[in-house]
Amino acid sequence: MERRTFIQSLIFSAAALAAASLPYGVARLLAPAYASKYPHHLRPPGAIADDDAFVEACIGCGLCGEVCPPKCIQFDKRQGGNKIYTPFIDPEIKACTLCDKCMSVCPTEALTETAREEIKMGVAQIDILTCYPWVDRGVCGACVTICPLGEKAIKFNFANIYRPEVIKAGCVGCGLCVEVCPHPSLPIAIVGADQGTVMSHRVY
Amino acid sequence: MSEISKPFFIWRHLNKARWLVLLTVFLMLIILPFIHVYQTFVASFSYDLLEPSEKSLYNIMEMLTTPFTNDPANGLENVKGTTWSGNFFGYQISDPLAVAGQVFSGLTFYWPFILTALIPVVATLLFGRFFCGWICPATFLYELNTTLSLWMHRFGFKAGTRKFDRRMKYIVLAVGLVLSAISGSVLISVIYPPAIIGRELYFGIALGGFGAGLVFFVITLLFDLLVARRGFCRYLCPGGALYSLLGRYRLFRIKRIIENCNDCAKCNAVCEFGLDPLHDDFGQECNNCAACIAICPTDAMTFVTSISDLEFQGAGHLGKSYKRSQDSGE
Repeated sequence: MERRTFIQSLIFSAAALAAASLPYGVARLLAPAYASKYPHHLRPPGAIADDDAFVEACIGCGLCGEVCPPKCIQFDKRQGGNKIYTPFIDPEIKACTLCDKCMSVCPTEALTETAREEIKMGVAQIDILTCYPWVDRGVCGACVTICPLGEKAIKFNFANIYRPEVIKAGCVGCGLCVEVCPHPSLPIAIVGADQGTVMSHRVY
Repeated sequence: MSEISKPFFIWRHLNKARWLVLLTVFLMLIILPFIHVYQTFVASFSYDLLEPSEKSLYNIMEMLTTPFTNDPANGLENVKGTTWSGNFFGYQISDPLAVAGQVFSGLTFYWPFILTALIPVVATLLFGRFFCGWICPATFLYELNTTLSLWMHRFGFKAGTRKFDRRMKYIVLAVGLVLSAISGSVLISVIYPPAIIGRELYFGIALGGFGAGLVFFVITLLFDLLVARRGFCRYLCPGGALYSLLGRYRLFRIKRIIENCNDCAKCNAVCEFGLDPLHDDFGQECNNCAACIAICPTDAMTFVTSISDLEFQGAGHLGKSYKRSQDSGE
């Protein structure tokens, strides 16, 4: 092969590669780097625990959202980067009811069918410096009443029957307690499963 | 004079059936999010809390679905999803590109998911790129876009007629799969118009806001309008590339009957993908849309079962150049 034709073909293939990756570049520009505006980025129930593995498995078909009866599953529509079009739940807007329809419909088992008690979306964490009964500003118990797992996940404190206490082993992190909490600053939140059930106010 | 074979009369009307299928798929993608919204209203027993517009939606959907089910919250699950991946009466059907992208992004073979693409793959091996012409919801809009450009032509608008290398889309496919593998997500779905359409219709109707994909889709529409007719499908679409590869040795293909052809070149003019049926050049790009059969004034196009196209058969026997060559030959 002549040097001239070789260089020509090299330039051509480089130009073709650049032209081929152009649409991906456009798409990437339209979807800037992953930055969730929600502090607690929950995946739907039964999601693969490792978030990178979850994104690898998810094809972004939206089936989980389309079968969700409370319509709690949302998608990264504009923000997202490589996580674009993957599902998440924001319990402050709408919480999961653990109906397991999304798990049964997922084609890639990114949402694996899991028994209700073994789901690990996260764990509820209570800020006991804000929660009304914990600061003696009234009686509530909304989170305890709404919990679909009952006594195994959240129950009243032994000493004061209106102070809620989360049991880490039983809580699956569905977020119904967050949705129902009447306090404007939401003293209960869903955090990662490795964190504690009482919010720490230690300054590191 | 040799015996003139007539094509089977149904083939002429396939183009109308194709438009009907395209319209049905597109309307399904619009009505499925509405069904989902209605299901959420039913599941939450919230009729009295709805806005007036939501109440009218509830009433209309109730009227439409009452003949089919008594339990709307659970009984309307037969058809769900989009053409990217969906449930169809118990069958999970996925786009082969979704499977390819997922295999590359995860670098594992998850067979239950791969097998959901079995039906489309087998159909593509038989019918070639039929998805692009018959089902793809983006095709519906792209063909309307072409019609719009032809209509605007009367008012002095010049649609783009540039030509590129058709093999560019294979590079797009390869780059997309490699980028999917690198980024660890099914990035290829971000620029695949049918996936975008299905998703954005769902986002826009049920989740209250379109996503970034709509911008990309509008860019492709403008590309088709201003640069090349059906340019995205022909030169850039990664799914089209995959289907073209799978459908290279398709069994059912269109053939020109040379005895009937009069070289009028209407087939070339109507072909959305800019192929050359007049010179028997269909190739792997042909999506069996049957538009050339429908427009042919002399019944010179038909379906045959063969795994390869014919070589160029020469000028049509009803055309002038053939007659001239016969006269000079005699």
